[in-house]
Amino acid sequence: MNSPSNQSLFVLGCSHRVADLSARELISLPPDSIDEFYDGLGKLTDLDEYLLLNTCNRTEIYGASKKNFSINSVLQYLSRFQNIEQEFLKRHSYQRSGCDVVSHLFEVTSGIDSQMVGETEILGQVKKAYDDACKRKISGKMLNRLFQKGFQAAKWARTNTGISKGQVNLGNVLCELARRIFGKVENCRLLVIGTGKVAEMSIEAFKSRGSQAITVTGRTFEWCPLSRNKPNELVEKFGGFALPFSQYKDSLHLFDVILSSTTSGLTMLGYHDVYNSMKKRPSKPLFLIDASVPRNIEESVSKIDNVFLYNMDDVSEIANKNLKSRMSEVERCKSILGQRAQKLWDQMIQPSIVS
Amino acid sequence: MDFNDSRELLWLVSGIYSFTFFLGLLKTFKLDLPQLRNLSFVLTIIGFAFHTHALYLRGLEVHGCPLGNTLERIQFILWSLILAFLIVRLLCRLDMLGTFCSGLASLGGALVLTLPDCDPNYWLTVNYTKLFSNPWIELHASVAIFSYGLFSLLSVVSVMYLIQRKALLSRKFDKLGSFLPPIQDLEIAAIRLLSIGILFLTFSILVGGIHWANQENFNLSGKLVVTLFLWIAYSVVFLLHYRQRLYGSKFAKTTIVLFFITFASLSLVSTRSQNTNKPLTPEENNPSNHQ
Repeated sequence: MNSPSNQSLFVLGCSHRVADLSARELISLPPDSIDEFYDGLGKLTDLDEYLLLNTCNRTEIYGASKKNFSINSVLQYLSRFQNIEQEFLKRHSYQRSGCDVVSHLFEVTSGIDSQMVGETEILGQVKKAYDDACKRKISGKMLNRLFQKGFQAAKWARTNTGISKGQVNLGNVLCELARRIFGKVENCRLLVIGTGKVAEMSIEAFKSRGSQAITVTGRTFEWCPLSRNKPNELVEKFGGFALPFSQYKDSLHLFDVILSSTTSGLTMLGYHDVYNSMKKRPSKPLFLIDASVPRNIEESVSKIDNVFLYNMDDVSEIANKNLKSRMSEVERCKSILGQRAQKLWDQMIQPSIVS
Repeated sequence: MDFNDSRELLWLVSGIYSFTFFLGLLKTFKLDLPQLRNLSFVLTIIGFAFHTHALYLRGLEVHGCPLGNTLERIQFILWSLILAFLIVRLLCRLDMLGTFCSGLASLGGALVLTLPDCDPNYWLTVNYTKLFSNPWIELHASVAIFSYGLFSLLSVVSVMYLIQRKALLSRKFDKLGSFLPPIQDLEIAAIRLLSIGILFLTFSILVGGIHWANQENFNLSGKLVVTLFLWIAYSVVFLLHYRQRLYGSKFAKTTIVLFFITFASLSLVSTRSQNTNKPLTPEENNPSNHQ
């Protein structure tokens, strides 16, 4: 890819593939400095089009030039702007040009270059970056075509391969299970006992699917009911209600999904607690998730009709299985996207487009 | 292929439904081709159109609603099953339900076609009179059989419920389970089908009842006893569910058992003779004894 035409398109980037979190933190641009960064980038000689993709896991600068533009000038500019050594930046970044840029973007938008293979959030982030570049009028013929084709490639990959099938995030796996029991997750009433990381992840996943009835309870609620405590913090963060710890057992029948995530090692839900609550809602299913180690919910509750109990091992196993299934699709997807990229690149370097 | 022969058409219908079923399975096991995405539904409609035509041709032969032998009754139930599915499918996308329905229609249809005893040519007998001399009885029989079609769909939904429940209890994300609707939706769909089925069966019994009430020599036939038993059984199941005494897996299992009783009860319906040389007995000539 060293022909002159290849010089017309490039990307300089840093992602989880070449840099650890601390390095990415140094290279990533703060949101309030983006305007300034774009201003400086625009002053680089012979750079006709440019676009910045700046996410928590990825900082990439795409550019196009009609003349022999050197990527190193962008590297130097970025190192100056972020006040980091050029050598450090070189070590923790990658450079692509020509057709490789097209392949790279296709892999980014389709999610196969993401840390969590097949995740869909990246497509939204790329679209946002592209919209921003369009508004600034810094994206031209070359980048417009590249990104629009990138969005099409992402859609194709998600529709025709298994890279996005099955949930791999624990919170999303729980939502998927809830969907298989109740249908619409937004109608599920969720009770979270405890305030661990899994609890937060699950609340976030349920909230993002429109669930409004989220209730949080925890032992710290009783210790200091008048001061700020974890249940209240979660409720403030995601919206919902805080329930006094002493009352949750009497209210079990009001909830469709109950997640226990404490480190107490105590039994939070015993057979009789669940049995008595199911008497008040016999025909409605109850989805219980025990995200605690040691477990907080007695295993015997799964014998009650219409009760579905999952522990962290079950949920992790599902997530891992889905991830494995996605990974098996990556090579096939990469190969097809590579062919599509080559085809697009061949069209892009036609004289009528480049010159 | 003779498109004017009802049996040949029914074989074709069975073939179309089995192809639809395998297409649905392919989709489930990730061998789905985007070009063939709506093919299952289109094939179901084509199969249903041929099915309707086959029953229409048979109706012309027997001079009435074709319910004179086991083959006709089962084919009528399967036709009702697909009709009920198509109505439900118009309201919401339920591809997996279609796969199950086409599987059942294909299997049931092919099975009854392979058994020659199920399809005697009773309309070729000497002194053959119309299967239903009274239109009210014809209405009673066809509505009753249609309600059986709804109960068949109910049993399909119940099977789907049990598969989904088993998948959830086994705590594994199997492929089939992930394509099935949520269990709560399946239970709601089941109770709606049960209600509509009971309504049709009630209407059928009322229509038949009005006719029999006007008859001087009315005998309570075995078939009528079973029909009444089924009506009572389905109504009790409905009431128990309404009172939250019967729900979930027990409700699903009960409806499946009742479906098998419904199917078995068809054998109690007297079938017309195949022997063309043998004149029909006066009892066979009396349409009220047949339904």
